[in-house]
Amino acid sequence: MRDEAAFVEFAQASRDRLRRTAYLLCGDWDQASDLVQEGLVRVYVRWPRLVRHGGELAYARKAVVSAFLDHKRRRSSTERPQETDPTTASGEDVATAVTTRAALMSALADLPPRQRACVVLRYFEDLSVADTAALLGCTEGTVKSQTSRALFSLRSMFEDSPIGELSEGAVSW
Amino acid sequence: MVNELRELMHEATDRPPRDHDDLSAVLSGGRRRVRVRRAAVVGGTALAAGAISLGSYAWLNPAPADLAAAGVPRAEGPVIRVAGAQPAVEGEDYRELTSYANEDLDTDNGEYFDGVTDDGLVLFREGQTAERMVERYALMDPATGEKWWLPERPGDGEQSWAIELGSERLVIMRLVTVGSSTLMETRPVLDVYDRTTGTWRTITWPGLPASDFPSFVQIGPDGRAYVAVMADRGDIPEGGRPTLPSGEVDESDAEGDVRALWSMSLTDPDDVRDEGVRVGSFAFDGDDMVWTDSTNGAAGMVHVRDLTTGEESSFDPRLGERCNLLGFDAAGGRIAMTQYCGTYDGVRDDRVQVVTKDGEQVVTLQDDGIDAGDLVAGGDYLTLTSYARATVGTYLYDFDERQLLRLSDSRSAFTVGQGPTPGDQLMWTTASGALSRTFGNAGGEVHLGEIIR
Repeated sequence: MRDEAAFVEFAQASRDRLRRTAYLLCGDWDQASDLVQEGLVRVYVRWPRLVRHGGELAYARKAVVSAFLDHKRRRSSTERPQETDPTTASGEDVATAVTTRAALMSALADLPPRQRACVVLRYFEDLSVADTAALLGCTEGTVKSQTSRALFSLRSMFEDSPIGELSEGAVSW
Repeated sequence: MVNELRELMHEATDRPPRDHDDLSAVLSGGRRRVRVRRAAVVGGTALAAGAISLGSYAWLNPAPADLAAAGVPRAEGPVIRVAGAQPAVEGEDYRELTSYANEDLDTDNGEYFDGVTDDGLVLFREGQTAERMVERYALMDPATGEKWWLPERPGDGEQSWAIELGSERLVIMRLVTVGSSTLMETRPVLDVYDRTTGTWRTITWPGLPASDFPSFVQIGPDGRAYVAVMADRGDIPEGGRPTLPSGEVDESDAEGDVRALWSMSLTDPDDVRDEGVRVGSFAFDGDDMVWTDSTNGAAGMVHVRDLTTGEESSFDPRLGERCNLLGFDAAGGRIAMTQYCGTYDGVRDDRVQVVTKDGEQVVTLQDDGIDAGDLVAGGDYLTLTSYARATVGTYLYDFDERQLLRLSDSRSAFTVGQGPTPGDQLMWTTASGALSRTFGNAGGEVHLGEIIR
C-alpha cells in the first residue's frame, strides 16, 4: 500500500536524523540534503512493502547510505578511495585545523567510502556489527575489519594533530 | 587531551543549517520513479548496473491470476495469455550459445553481458566493485569463453548501454549530469570504440538540451544518433492520482509525456538539430521511423514516416482505455507496445500489443505481471518476461507459427543481460544464488541463445 499521508509523516520525522548521518558521510550539508531526498524517494517506492513488514527507518538509513555509496561509485571509476582526495584536507591540514570538528570531518573525508560508512553507522547511529553488515550488504567480518582500519587511520590522523588523541569509546561487538 | 569519537560526531552535527528542501520534491520524485520503474526508462537517477529491474510485488502472489474474475477487460483483437505457453526445448526450439552466472549481486557488482556484436562476440562487462575499482569491457568468444580486454573506457563510471555493436565499431551510451543538478538533468554521451585501431573516442553535444529521463539514443538509417528529450511532462491530476482499494496509488490512465526529437552527428559535436517532431516513443525499422504522440502514459496515434520519400501515415493503435505505454519496439514491419492498463481487484492488466505498421492488430499478450516486449530475429519473434510467480520466466512468441514458448521458469531480479543481439540470437536471464531477504535470489544468470527456425 502506498499510503502517502503515512509516508509524509515518516519522512518529516526521520529527515533531520537522516540528514545528520548523510552529512557525516559526505561532509557537505547541501549534498546531505540531496542524499536524503534520493534516499526518501527510494523509501517511497518501497513504502507498501515496508509498512507491511516494518523496518521503515532501517530501510531509509540503508537507502541514504546506498545513495551515498552509489554517488561515490558513479562519480569516478578511476577514483581510488584509499588515495587522498586533493580537494579535501590532507594529514598536514588536519594538524593545522582550528577545531576538532573540522579535524573530524577532514579525517572522515580521507577514509574510503565504505570505511566511513562503517564508522558512522557504528559510532553515530550506534548500530551493532550485525546490523551494519546487513545494511551494507557484507559480512560481519568485513564490517569489523573495515571499522578497525578506519579507526586506525582516524587515530593516526589525530595523533599527528595538535588537538589530541582519539578514543572510540565503548561499543558492543 | 582525548577526543571521544561518538561525542565528536554528535557535536559535528548538532547545529545543521536549515534544510530548504521540501517533501513535495520527494513525493513527485517518488511518484515519477514508480511510473518510470515500470517503464524501464533510463535517466539520470536510473538504477545502477545490476540493480533491480522491476518491483518484486509478484512474488507475494503465489497463485496464477484470474483476469476475468478480477474484471480485467479483454484487449482488442487476438489475445494470448502466458499461462498457455509450451515449454521450449533446447536443441529443437533454440540452442544455448553461452551463459554466465553471478551468484551474489546483493553484496556487490558483478559481470554482465551488454550485447553481442554483429560478428558474434559478447560484449562482456566487469562491473566496478569495492575491490575492483575500474569497470572494464571485453569481447568474449561465446564458444570458448576467451576474452579480449578493451582499453579503459572514457567517463566517470556512469551507467552505460550498448547502442550499436558492429564488426567495426562499438557505440556505448552513458548519461552525464549537467550543471549543479546532481540527480536529474542529464545529457547523453556516446563512447565509440574503433575495433580496427583499438581506441575509444567520446562524442558530446553541448548544444543538445539537458533533460531528465531522456530516451535511449538510437542510430537512424541515415547514420545519425537520435534522442528524445522531455518537452511536456504529463500532468498528475489535481489532488493527486486516485487510490485503489488496496491503498496503492493508481498509476494507470496517465497523461503521457511528450518529447522533442533531436538528432546528432557521430563525428561533429556542433552538428545537433531539433528534428521538429514531437514524439512519445520512437523506433526505426528499415527506412521507416515509427513513433507515438506520447509515452509513459497515453500513447495517442502511431505515425510511420518513410525517411527516403517523406511519405507519412498515421493510425490509432487502439490501446485500452486506461493503458499507459511503457515500452516500444519496431522490426520486420511489426510494432510491439508494452503497456500497463490498471489493477483490478489486485490483478494487474499488463499487455504487450503487436500491430503492423499499417495498424492491423497482430496479437496481444495480456496477463498479470508481464513486461519488456521486444522484437527479435528481425521482428519474426517477440520476447517478453513474466514476473508473476506462477508464470515467471521469459517467453518467445513465433509470429509465423502463432506459438508461445516458455524459455525459462525463473528470472533474474537484476539486469545481468541487455543490449543488441544479431541475427536470430537473443538473451534471457534466470535466477541464481541463494535466496535473498529482499528481491528473491541474490544472483542472476544471463543466457545467450539462438532460435532454431
